[in-house]
Amino acid sequence: MKVVDTKGLTCPAPLIKTRQALNEALEGESLQIVIDNATSLSNIRRFLKDNKLSSSEKEENAIWTITVNRGEVMPVIENIEDYCSVSEERTGKNVVVAIASDKMGTGDDELGTRLINSFFKVLPLVQPLPSSVVFYNAGVKLAVTGSLAEEYLKEIEAKGVKLYLCTTCIDYFLLREKIKVGNISDMYQIINVLNEADLIIRP
Amino acid sequence: MKPILSSDPDKRQMAFDLLTTVEAGGCSAKISPTILEAILSELPLPFDPRILVDISTHDDAGVYRLTDDIALILTTDFFPPVCSDPYEFGQIAAANSISDVYAMGGTPILALNIIMFPSSRIPIEVYGEILRGGNDKAREAGVSIIGGHSIDDYPPKYGMAVTGIVDPKKVITNSGARAGDVLILTKPIGSGIIMAASRMGMASADELASAKWCMKQLNNEGCRLMQKYNIKGATDITGFGLAGHSLKMAVGSDVTIRLSMKKVPLMKNAYTYINEGCIPGAAFRNLDYIEPKTFFEEGLDYNLRMASCDAQTSGGLLISVRESAVENLLTELNASGHPEASIMGSVEPKQKYSLIIGN
Repeated sequence: MKVVDTKGLTCPAPLIKTRQALNEALEGESLQIVIDNATSLSNIRRFLKDNKLSSSEKEENAIWTITVNRGEVMPVIENIEDYCSVSEERTGKNVVVAIASDKMGTGDDELGTRLINSFFKVLPLVQPLPSSVVFYNAGVKLAVTGSLAEEYLKEIEAKGVKLYLCTTCIDYFLLREKIKVGNISDMYQIINVLNEADLIIRP
Repeated sequence: MKPILSSDPDKRQMAFDLLTTVEAGGCSAKISPTILEAILSELPLPFDPRILVDISTHDDAGVYRLTDDIALILTTDFFPPVCSDPYEFGQIAAANSISDVYAMGGTPILALNIIMFPSSRIPIEVYGEILRGGNDKAREAGVSIIGGHSIDDYPPKYGMAVTGIVDPKKVITNSGARAGDVLILTKPIGSGIIMAASRMGMASADELASAKWCMKQLNNEGCRLMQKYNIKGATDITGFGLAGHSLKMAVGSDVTIRLSMKKVPLMKNAYTYINEGCIPGAAFRNLDYIEPKTFFEEGLDYNLRMASCDAQTSGGLLISVRESAVENLLTELNASGHPEASIMGSVEPKQKYSLIIGN
């Protein structure tokens, strides 16, 4: 008889091993499951009962041995797709603006500063508005209190545009105290926002 | 101030893995609802007409009327690490604590940190990272943290006591579901299973990242839309699982709730992991709790039954909505950061069983 030794394992590992052994067992074959913790014991008992698998138990020095008959065919997944979460549905294009610098374009820094300020001045007038603006690297400098872009950022934020500011970048430029707009975000969030975009604008 | 630890989650994990402080499986984090209810039923309830909501209806938070226009919402929640990275743990714990205010239809305004931390056993930078995560999440919610309390203890635990405000006429409660309503769930379930599967080396990094993303997501948009659509009955799904919280709402509202499990949004591959036996202990505890008042329909898929009992951390809102408004509410939820929000159940007049779970 095959023995599934779960001693020293904590929940849910004993149940995973039990499940696996039951899957591999032949119809009508019996298995022994050895368990040394009360939580896993109670969970495995419950699992066997709910799946209508007959079993017997014995205990010796707080080690339980459950003998279970594999019985009929275990329930199988008929169509796994039925249970997977549905894919996202979206109306219209999801446009995300990624601001990677506090200047627009390269060539002349002063010109680049004027251009990026002009970009944010015009952005609130664009229809439809982007869903989000992501700021990283020196881009976060545009979102600080007192920047020329600030009032336009507040305006688009009030119109429902989400602003995501890279937390690492804010700390790097020592700007944490000066940020009053937007959501402070980590890389997971930023990647998620970019990943969900149909179109990314990078001025 | 430069961060003490790298803000790159992978690098931070190398610094200190919080999951090494908790028993693999984290089966013991929450007291069984069966035991909890028995203890709470022994305590006398305070009597004050200004108390609008207390524990007698198993609600998410207490509500106290200050004036005709303002009621206070008070709630607290804290728990041991659910993930390796301290910053992310802080974010998740804060989102979870604040969620109870959103579930009552309120605006969270203030919070106090509650932290237990073994300062001699874990690098103190980890403490700072947990609080930084909590702080950033609180800021995202518009909540000011104005104090807190810390205790030297192992394993670490973190959460908040959160205060919110709400118009007393617009409080959304566990007891506001009405027969004929339809149920919407705003976030997918399965975070307990995915976290366990990740510890067992079964779940992929992507699946883990999506589960953490869900847990970090605030329920603020759901709350805003509930108020827009005049919702009266809702709850957030946390440790007692979808089934446990549905049962609490059914009992609180004196109705029967029917869950259609195939319509419930599930996190990717959560079904597969349950099928492979990756069922956290908390799911069995929740199953014991709901069983006396629940009817499992003939032929209910065993794996879906266990999914309904999976304990969630910082789960979504379960919203009871009149049928005429359900389409519009769902469309707006889907467009407001909840693409997986789905109609997954209904509210019926009270029957023999308070909860009915079917495929």
